[in-house]
Amino acid sequence: MADLLVEQPQEITISKTFPTKPKLKSKPKTPSKTPESKYWSSFKSHQISNLISSIPSIDFSPISPHHFAAANSASLTLFSPHTLSPASTISSSDVVTSCSFRCDGSLIAASDLSGLIRVFDVKTRTPLRRLRSHARPVRFVKYPLLDKLHLVSGGDDSVVKYWDVAGESVVLDLYGHRDYVRCGDCSPTDGEMFVTGSYDHTVKLWDVRVDNKESVIEVNHGNPVEDVIFLPSGGMVATAGGNSVKIWDLIGGGKMVYSMESHNKTVTSICVGKVGKESGEEALQYRIFSVALDGYMKVFDYAKMKVTHSMRFPAPLMSIGFSPDCMTRVIGSSNGIIFAGRRKAKEDVGESKVGNFWALGSVEEPQRRALRPTYFRYFHRSQGEKPNEGDHLIMRQKKVKLAEHDKLLKKFRHKEALVSVLGGKNTENVVAVMEELVARRKLLKCVVNLDDEELGLLLGFLHKHSTMPRHSGLLTGLTRKVLEMRAEDIRASDALKGHIRNLKRSVEEEIRIQHSLQEIQGVISPLLRIAGRR
Amino acid sequence: MIRGGRSYVLSPPAFSNDAKRLLVCTANSVTIFSTATGLPVLSLDGHTALVTAVIVVPASTPASKILCYCWTASLDGTIRYWDFSVPELIKIINVNLPIISMVIPSLLSQTAETNDKSPKTFAYLSVENTKEPEKESGKALRGQIKKCNLTNSRMAGGMTLSETKQPEIITVSSSGKYFGIQFKRKLRIWKVPTAESERAVVKKITLHHTKNMNVLAFHPTQRIVAAGDVTGRILIWRGFGDRTFADGDGLVSRKLTNNEEERPGVRGDDDADSCTTWHWHSAEVNVLFFSSDGAYLYSGGKEGVLVVWQLDTGRKKFLPRIGSPLLWFTDSPDPSLSSISCADNQIHLLKMPSMEILKSISGIKLPCSFPEMCNGLQSGIAFDCNAGLVALRTENYCIQLYSLFDDRGISEVVVCERNHQPGDEVTVVVTLAVLSLDGSMMSTAEVKLPEEGLGGLVCLKFWALGSQNKEFSLSTIVYEPHRDAGISAIAFHPTRPMAVSSSYGGDFKVWVCNNGIQEMDKPLPNSGWTCHAVGSYKKKPMTAATFSSDGSVLAVAAETVITLWDADKNILVAVIGETLMPVVNLAFAGKSEYLVSASWGSKPQLSIWSMSKLSVSWSYMLHVEAIASAADMSFFAALALLPESSKWNETSLKGRDGVILLFNASDPVPIFTWSVQKAKGGALAFIQANQFAIDENELDGKPHQSLLAYINGDHEYLLFDPQGKEAKEHSTIRQEGLGDLEEAGKFGYASIYGELPQFDPKRKQASWVPSASLERPWETVFSGSSHNLPPLTKLCSVFLESLLEKRTVNVD
Repeated sequence: MADLLVEQPQEITISKTFPTKPKLKSKPKTPSKTPESKYWSSFKSHQISNLISSIPSIDFSPISPHHFAAANSASLTLFSPHTLSPASTISSSDVVTSCSFRCDGSLIAASDLSGLIRVFDVKTRTPLRRLRSHARPVRFVKYPLLDKLHLVSGGDDSVVKYWDVAGESVVLDLYGHRDYVRCGDCSPTDGEMFVTGSYDHTVKLWDVRVDNKESVIEVNHGNPVEDVIFLPSGGMVATAGGNSVKIWDLIGGGKMVYSMESHNKTVTSICVGKVGKESGEEALQYRIFSVALDGYMKVFDYAKMKVTHSMRFPAPLMSIGFSPDCMTRVIGSSNGIIFAGRRKAKEDVGESKVGNFWALGSVEEPQRRALRPTYFRYFHRSQGEKPNEGDHLIMRQKKVKLAEHDKLLKKFRHKEALVSVLGGKNTENVVAVMEELVARRKLLKCVVNLDDEELGLLLGFLHKHSTMPRHSGLLTGLTRKVLEMRAEDIRASDALKGHIRNLKRSVEEEIRIQHSLQEIQGVISPLLRIAGRR
Repeated sequence: MIRGGRSYVLSPPAFSNDAKRLLVCTANSVTIFSTATGLPVLSLDGHTALVTAVIVVPASTPASKILCYCWTASLDGTIRYWDFSVPELIKIINVNLPIISMVIPSLLSQTAETNDKSPKTFAYLSVENTKEPEKESGKALRGQIKKCNLTNSRMAGGMTLSETKQPEIITVSSSGKYFGIQFKRKLRIWKVPTAESERAVVKKITLHHTKNMNVLAFHPTQRIVAAGDVTGRILIWRGFGDRTFADGDGLVSRKLTNNEEERPGVRGDDDADSCTTWHWHSAEVNVLFFSSDGAYLYSGGKEGVLVVWQLDTGRKKFLPRIGSPLLWFTDSPDPSLSSISCADNQIHLLKMPSMEILKSISGIKLPCSFPEMCNGLQSGIAFDCNAGLVALRTENYCIQLYSLFDDRGISEVVVCERNHQPGDEVTVVVTLAVLSLDGSMMSTAEVKLPEEGLGGLVCLKFWALGSQNKEFSLSTIVYEPHRDAGISAIAFHPTRPMAVSSSYGGDFKVWVCNNGIQEMDKPLPNSGWTCHAVGSYKKKPMTAATFSSDGSVLAVAAETVITLWDADKNILVAVIGETLMPVVNLAFAGKSEYLVSASWGSKPQLSIWSMSKLSVSWSYMLHVEAIASAADMSFFAALALLPESSKWNETSLKGRDGVILLFNASDPVPIFTWSVQKAKGGALAFIQANQFAIDENELDGKPHQSLLAYINGDHEYLLFDPQGKEAKEHSTIRQEGLGDLEEAGKFGYASIYGELPQFDPKRKQASWVPSASLERPWETVFSGSSHNLPPLTKLCSVFLESLLEKRTVNVD
């Protein structure tokens, strides 16, 4: 394919067609999208909105195909990640606060406001165990990652409990928090260690092997802790509370590494996810996702200590989950809407192809006959036909697409062009056409030639936009000219008089604004002068 | 010394016989361009004044196609005969009168009689009679048509065919039988006598019209003459001169018919059968030309549209949007190639049946007239001193970048995205163009003129040079940078990406490119210029601005005083002044401590200010058009217009109206002075010559040679060494263009259908040499489509010739 000849028709044109262009707006100085930012926005958003109340907890099943469970009112809904639709619902007796899959994905534990923790079979939805010991609502329940037999839970009675699930009994009661325990996470490297966070601003690391039932390490977040997670290495934790997300080094004795404070309201939930890209700088790196009541989701690169992506949702956000296969991102909001996002599955196709290759390795592809001009089929080639090697490619010149008003301007039909662009919605284009007419010395002639209806269109436009500072330089002058030239016609028509009334009102409004601005300036400028003197 | 920037379109060009060269009259020389590449190949130097006519001796046989002889005529009163393949001057004929136009009809009619002994060649000249003292300015007949014997190189005695008030341009028919002039409302047509001798009586007729006529053209075979007038009408007289030119044996059988019905459209007693009028052009017609077979008439005028009329039906075809008034249309021996010359100093080569533009030979853009109110105080000419480029404003809202060393256009930057239509009212004007010192940035200012006070707009644009493609691309647009006040000057910081624009509205703004802050090589995706600081001095209009050579001081002229600023911190450092009239031009004299200012008006002044004393050091009362200072020297050059009072010694100055003065800044006595012509609207700059020195090895290895470049009001330029004693002229044509010339030239059939694979081009060429035995020449003679073949008269002789058995002779 390398020696495909690309011939372009060589043509020297002396003059070209220039469509009228609106004036450029000054761009805000935001940097353009980084590749990573593009990646995160490539998750196709999907709203699941038929739930009733807020979603306090979301958990993904650790085994493929990674169903996810969302706690919602008195039920726990399981969703399929492919269709993002509810697959099944597990009902509970009270409002569910937290849920957690076991590491093999076959059981799920759910806690509720009555202080009860229940364990369900995911497939059959039958309740298997009821763990009752908490005196107050249970706020978090968690299966350890490497342990199928125990559970960790914490509640508003400020007690952290370590359960033996099979026997429905509490193994350890861990006292130490002095306020509601709201969150916790189990270590990814060790089945016996976990952290909990509480409204007493502290995060405690517990080890069930320690005898004295005291926390191993304690760190102070400085705000009521809303969420705490282990980072995948197991040596660091991230805590969320107040407006900040903080990262702590546990191996280094509980030292704070970084505090990310880019949210404006309380951060409610954080989780860890992986960039699912195969190539690129940031491929297969971990990120911290945080959601907050301000409606923002932020992606935080804790290697570079930088927020790499930020996304806004139209509701306060309560919980976030990210699937282990990096395909699905689910955010629960306070008004019962789940903002799910799913990436297009490219890798799946690739894998299946590889599978085919191995399975059908011996089978040859049927050789397709090359098309020759002697075949009838040759003349029925479609547009999608790929050029053969040795074919001469003749590029067609790109056609310049012209708007209606540009076509009219090209034909010197100035009034029609003005009317056509006034009928459109784009203010910038109208002004651009007017400026072009000024350059051709035809604007006033156009105004004279407008009939009553078209004049109404023009006056309506002037009423709306003549006081806009961006265009007022041209439009106020034009308004005056129009009124001078067409005074007779305006007097004759009631509809036009209405336009004039509107115009007058908007001009008076603008004058009022200018007056008050001048007053403000009068107040401020002496202050500035005094400040400058110092 | 390098001269350049000459106009290519003052006189019609001529094609060589093989249509591979185009001979263009360029001021005192004839430059030969290759039609394949559009680059200059050779130049014929020798004339001492403007060359006004070039005529290639046509090839009578195919063998002589390789012959390259031409006649040139010039205002210096000489006719010269050249062999332009070498190039070599063969003959000079001195006429002693400035020749405005020359035709040699016998060269054209010679084709029929081949083996005759060479007849005498006569030229008809239109000369300006300067010998007779002017009696009364109104009545003097300055234009004369004379006959000249070129073979004996003397004027035909006593033969003055006609006298007109102004010398007119002679047009000859392509058959060489008639020639004529148009003057005022008349056409005067002569018939060339068949047997040429010095005393042969030349018959003439006169045709009349009601409007002034601009141009005329003869039909190649029939007695048809076409003329274009100032209102855009084309008049076609058929059967002109039936009475007068009918072979003068007294066999005028035709009755004198003064009857209007029988001779429609013909005025009075004019000798023509009929006169028809075509009217399409809205303005004056400048170009008329019959196609070689006489079926079509090409016309063009001020609108810049080439119109092709089918002569029998009057049907039209157009080549629109040429963008500039047409001046000349020239046909070539190759039927598929012709050229049009436009008023913007461009020659377009057209591929003929389809009228596509193949190549453009673009000369320096000629100065264009702008409306009075927005004539910037500076001439709008900017120089890139390192690359030897000059940036000029053009009429079609572009900036042309022209290489001074190569004498050719590099590129054009479209500043306003508009098409220019010649003849339209000018509504958008590019007022300023400034290049940064390293040539990587450009800034332009444009003004949109308001319609009855509506919608005027001043616009400042910054352009950045692309790294590879050498094209400027738009970086930033600033609308109304100083509210609605016009921009008086723009200046770039010598080292950093910083610029200052001053306005008549009383403030100046310092602009910085945020790209410059970035240290990395890769540019920021959104690099642009932003306003860094605003300054004003007592609300006075700011009229000029400049940075010192190290960029530490910014000098802005506030009318009559000069304010000095620290551009970074935006602090007013000092105020010096004041002059009598507002300052229009400021420049630091190199690295020295002197600042040069020029003011215009009733009391013009050139002042040199000392920065250490903050006072005027010395000054002259001179109207200084331009100031140039070399970056690393303390010299500066000023282009001064001679005051009106010195016009009395006009004879000694020979029309020179300006002086270039080279000063050492500390010394009021100029080091050198040169007097120049057409200094109004001129510009000056010091150009680094080191790039040039590498190419030419002429400058004796002096390290940093600065040449002084002077562009006059007609955009002709001159580069010379200000310190050099003798001005040595370099040939401006580089020989690099020659290599690709030969294989690129395709001809006739091949140019339309491509090379035929089975023909061996060597054999094909050999078949044209008469000495070689011909195999089957008719195959090649008649190949190609019928409309593209030469006319039958030409083909027939070739064909018959090819049938004859030829005796083989040795040809060296």
